[in-house]
Amino acid sequence: MTNAVTFQNVSRHYGKVKAVDAVDLSIAEGSFFAMLGPSGSGKTTCLRLISGFEKPTAGEIRIFGRDVSDTPPNRRNVNTVFQDYALFPHMNVRDNVAYGPMVAGVGKAERYIKAEEMLALVKLDGYGDRKPGQLSGGQRQRVALARALVNEPRVLLLDEPLGALDLKLREAMQDELKALQKRLGITFVFVTHDQHEALSMADQLAVFNEGKIAQIGSPSEVYDRPATPFVADFVGSSNVLPPSLTAQLGGAAAWASLRPEAIRLVAKGKGKMNGTVAALRYLGAGSRVSVMVGETEIAALVPAGDAAPKAGAEVGITFETSALHVMAES
Amino acid sequence: MKSIRLMGNTAVAVAMAVTPALAQVASLGSPEGQVSIVAWPGYIERGETMAEFDWVTKFEEATGCQVVIKTANTSDEMVALMNEGGFDLVTASGDASLRLVAGKRVQPVNIDLIPSWTNVDERLKNAPWHTVDGVHYGVPYQWGPNVLMYNTEVFGDTPPTSWSVVFEEQTLPDGSSNVGRVQAYDGPIHIADAAQYLMAHRPELGITSPYELNADQYAAALDLLRAQRKLVGRYWHDAFIQMDDFKNEGVVASGSWPFQVGLLKAEGFPVSSVIPEEGSTGWADTTMMHVDAPHPTCSYLWMEHTLSSNLQADLSVWFGANPVVLSACTDGSGMQTAEGCTANGLDDFEKIKFWTTPVSQCESQGECVPYYRWVSDYIGVIGGR
Amino acid sequence: MSRSAILPNRGLADRLSALFWRHPRVLLLLLITPPLLWLGVVYLGSLGALLLQSFYSIDEFSGVVVEEFTLKTYGELFRAANMDIILRTLTMSASVTLASAVIGFPVAYFAARFARGRWKAVFYLGIMLPLWSSYLVKVYAWKLILAKEGIITWAADSVGLGFLLDAVLALPGVGGNSLSTSFIGTWIVFVYVWLPYMILPMQASLERVPVSMLEASSDLGATLGQTFRTVILPLAMPGVIAGSIFTFSLTMGDYIIPQIVGTSARFIGQAVYQLQGTAGNIPLAAAFAVVPILIMLVYLSLAKRGGAFDAL
Repeated sequence: MTNAVTFQNVSRHYGKVKAVDAVDLSIAEGSFFAMLGPSGSGKTTCLRLISGFEKPTAGEIRIFGRDVSDTPPNRRNVNTVFQDYALFPHMNVRDNVAYGPMVAGVGKAERYIKAEEMLALVKLDGYGDRKPGQLSGGQRQRVALARALVNEPRVLLLDEPLGALDLKLREAMQDELKALQKRLGITFVFVTHDQHEALSMADQLAVFNEGKIAQIGSPSEVYDRPATPFVADFVGSSNVLPPSLTAQLGGAAAWASLRPEAIRLVAKGKGKMNGTVAALRYLGAGSRVSVMVGETEIAALVPAGDAAPKAGAEVGITFETSALHVMAES
Repeated sequence: MKSIRLMGNTAVAVAMAVTPALAQVASLGSPEGQVSIVAWPGYIERGETMAEFDWVTKFEEATGCQVVIKTANTSDEMVALMNEGGFDLVTASGDASLRLVAGKRVQPVNIDLIPSWTNVDERLKNAPWHTVDGVHYGVPYQWGPNVLMYNTEVFGDTPPTSWSVVFEEQTLPDGSSNVGRVQAYDGPIHIADAAQYLMAHRPELGITSPYELNADQYAAALDLLRAQRKLVGRYWHDAFIQMDDFKNEGVVASGSWPFQVGLLKAEGFPVSSVIPEEGSTGWADTTMMHVDAPHPTCSYLWMEHTLSSNLQADLSVWFGANPVVLSACTDGSGMQTAEGCTANGLDDFEKIKFWTTPVSQCESQGECVPYYRWVSDYIGVIGGR
Repeated sequence: MSRSAILPNRGLADRLSALFWRHPRVLLLLLITPPLLWLGVVYLGSLGALLLQSFYSIDEFSGVVVEEFTLKTYGELFRAANMDIILRTLTMSASVTLASAVIGFPVAYFAARFARGRWKAVFYLGIMLPLWSSYLVKVYAWKLILAKEGIITWAADSVGLGFLLDAVLALPGVGGNSLSTSFIGTWIVFVYVWLPYMILPMQASLERVPVSMLEASSDLGATLGQTFRTVILPLAMPGVIAGSIFTFSLTMGDYIIPQIVGTSARFIGQAVYQLQGTAGNIPLAAAFAVVPILIMLVYLSLAKRGGAFDAL
C-alpha cells in the first residue's frame, strides 16, 4: 500500500521551542488518520507541515512519494478544512466553494456546476447565494468541507473541524465525515484534542506529546495497550499505576495502565487491594468513583443500577489480571 | 449668521459709500491702564525680536497703559477681529480702512486731542483712505511703495526701469529669458499693478486710477495678467516665502516690499529695488479706533505716541517703510536717516497709487468693476484662464 | 448569620447607580444628549447655514448678498475658471489618494502581518512621528527640499540624473519651473502629509484579516497575486476606503499646501478662503464648500455600490 504522507525525522523548531521534534510518520493512502494530543503537542504543526504553511527545520516530508521541500501550498494537491473554517466573508457560499476552480482558471459556468455538486455532497443544496455570515456553525463547517473537496485533493487535512460545534451536531458530523471519507476514498488527516472523536473516527491515530509522537496505532491498540502513561491518561482516562503498585498487584515493576471500566468495587478486604472513596462523579450511565490507594488515585466506573459507595467508605478493588497493561517506561 | 450679515452690511455700505456720522471723544479722562491693538506682524515691537527696536516699553512706563497686541496677517482678518469687538485700535491698510468706516466699526478721531497731528506729513493729513467727507477716522501710521525687487547679479549695470520685466517676455541682461524667473503678488489687488502699467503703455484705454476700472480697461488688465501667468512659476503671498524664492528658486525680479529688500540685503544677498517709470502701487496704514473702544483715553495716548518722531524713525527702519512724520527722517531722534527714507521711497509719494478697495460706484467713471469680481477673475487668471 | 442580604445604601453614588440600573435609558439619555446636541446644533446647524448661504447670490452691481433663494450661485460654479478649480482639486485628491494607497499598502501590510512587539512600536512611531511635528514646518521643509536649488535637484544633478528631473518638469500640465512650483511638487507634499491617514486604517483592517483566510486561498491553489486580488484587497477594502476618505477629503479641503508649494493655481479650499474673506462673496464660497461634500457623497455611494463595505 502506498503511503499518502511520510515524515522522515521531521522537526519544526521555533528558536528553542521544539514544536515538532524528530517525528517519523507514515499515513497510508485512503486511511482516516487522526492526530491526537493536547494543545501545544505539535499535532497542528504537523498538519501545517503537510499543507505547506510551515516548513520543516530538519527532515523530509513526502506526499505520495514526492519530496515537497520546494513545493508551496498552492502547488500541493492537498486541501485543508480550517479550524475557524476561514470562509471568505465577502463571497457568497457558491463563490467560496468555487474558489479553487476559479483560481485555477475554470470558467464561471463550469465551476458553478462543480460548486453545486459539492454543496449537494455536503447537503447544502440551495444555499449558494447566502453569505457565510448568514449560516450556522454546522453549515459553515460543511461549506468549508465542500470548498476543500472541490479541488479533488488526494489528501484532505482537517484541523479540529468539529471543535466549535455543540455535542449533538458534533456527533452527527463525525458520522457524516466518516461516511464521506469512505465514499470518496480520499486520505483524511484529522487533528483533534478530543480522544473520543479520534477513537471513533480514525483508522489509525498518532498521539502527540511535547512535539513527539507518543504512540501510533489503531484506536483499539492505542486504547487497550497504551505505550506510555501519558497515552494511557490522555486517551483512555486510564488509571496509571506506578511501578511499585504494579509489582504489588502481581505484575512486573513497571508503569501499567488499568481502565476504570475494568475495575469492580467490592467489600473491604475482598479485592486485590483496599482504598478509601475520595469523590464520586455521577455520569448518568454510571458513576465515576475516585478511590485513594495510598498516594495513588484509582478511578473506577460503577454502572448505573449497581450500588455506588459513599464518599469516605472503605472499599476493596478487584479486576481481571489481564486488564492490567504494562507499558514501556516513560 | 451675525457676522455673515455684518459682512453683507459692510459690503452694502462700501458700495454706497455711506458715511455714518458718529460721536467722537470730546475730552480725555484718566488712563484706563490698558490698550489693545490689532496690528500687522512687526508693526508694534517691544524689544522682544531685537532689543533696539522697542517703542512700547517707554510708553507703558509713561502712561500706565499696558499695550496688548493681537497680530493679524490679512486685511480681512483685521476686519473680522474688529467686527468681533473688544479691541481699541487697528493698523488698517487702505483696502480695509474704508470697509471699517462704512461698517461703522471705527469712530471719528478728534484730532484736537492729538497734539502731534500738526507734524503729520501734509500729503497724508486728508488722505481719502481715512478721511470721509472731511471727517478723520484715524491717524496715519506708516506707508510704503510696492517696489520692483531684482537680482543685481543678473541685471548688472542695467537695472530694470520698467515693470515690463515682469509683464512681458524678454531676455534679461544675463542672456536668459525671464520665463519662470519672475513673480507677481498673489492677491487680486495685483490687477491694479497691471492697470497702472497699462496707464503708461496704453493711454488710449483712458485709465485714470488703477483701482477704478470700467469693463474694457479691466479686460485689458486681465489680458496682460494672462500673458504674465506664462512667465510666473509661482505667485508670492508671504514675504518670507518670496525671500526664499529669490534665494532658492532662481527668481530674479518681482514686485515686492522694501521689507523683503532690506532683509535680503542685510543677509548679503545681491538684490536691489527700484520704483519703475510707470510708478507703483503702495500701502498706507492708519491707526483707527473701534467704535466701542473700551479704553479711549489710552487709545488717544497711543495715537499721540505713534506720531512721535523717534517711533516713526525706528519703525520705518524696522519695516522698510516711510514715516508719516517727515522730521523722523532727519532729526536723528531714531535710527532713520534721510538716505534711508529716500531708499524706502519717501520722495516717490506722487508716483504711488495707494491700495484701496475697488467699488462699483467709483468716482472717476461712474461704474467700475467691483472687488469681488477682481477676486474671482484673478483666481481664474492664476488658474490659467 | 447576622449579615444582611442587602448591603446598606452608602449615599448619592449608590442611589444613582440604582436609578441607572432600574432605568438604563436614563443613563443612555444623559450620556448621549450633550454629543447629540453638539452634533445636531453646532455641526449640522453650521452645515445648514452653509447650505442656506449657497442658495443666496451676490448682487452683480453692489456686491451685496441677496438673501433670496436662487440657483444662480451654483450656476457660477460652472464658469470655466471655477470648473478648473473643481477639476484640479478633484484630480489632485484622486491622484493623492491613489498614490497614498499604493505606497501605504505594503507598509500597512508589513505592519499588520509581520511586525511584532518592538517592531510594531517602531512602525507606529515611524508612521505617527511626522504627525507630531507642525504641519507648517513640514510643508516649508518640503518647499526647500523641492526648490530649484534644493536637495533633490542637487542630488539628481550629482548622480547625472538631472535630465530625468528636467524631463519630469517638462511634462505639460503637471510640470513647471521647479518641483516646488509645479503640480508634481504639490502632489508630493500632499502624499507625504496625508500618507499616515491612509496607512493607519489600512493597517487596522489588514490586521483583522485572519491569517487562515490567506492560507485558505493559497491552500486552494491561488498564487500570491490571486490571493491579493481576490482575498486581501476585498477584505482590506473598508480600511482602504476609510483611508481614502481621509486623504481625499483632507486634500480637497486643504488650502495651505498649494499656497506654499505649487503653481499658485487655486484649489477649492483656497477659493473658499479667498471668496469668503477678501471678496465677501459668501454665497459662492458656500457653493464651493458644498462641492467636496457632494463629491464625497458620490464617492461613498460608488464605493458602496462597488461592494467596498461588503466585508464589514
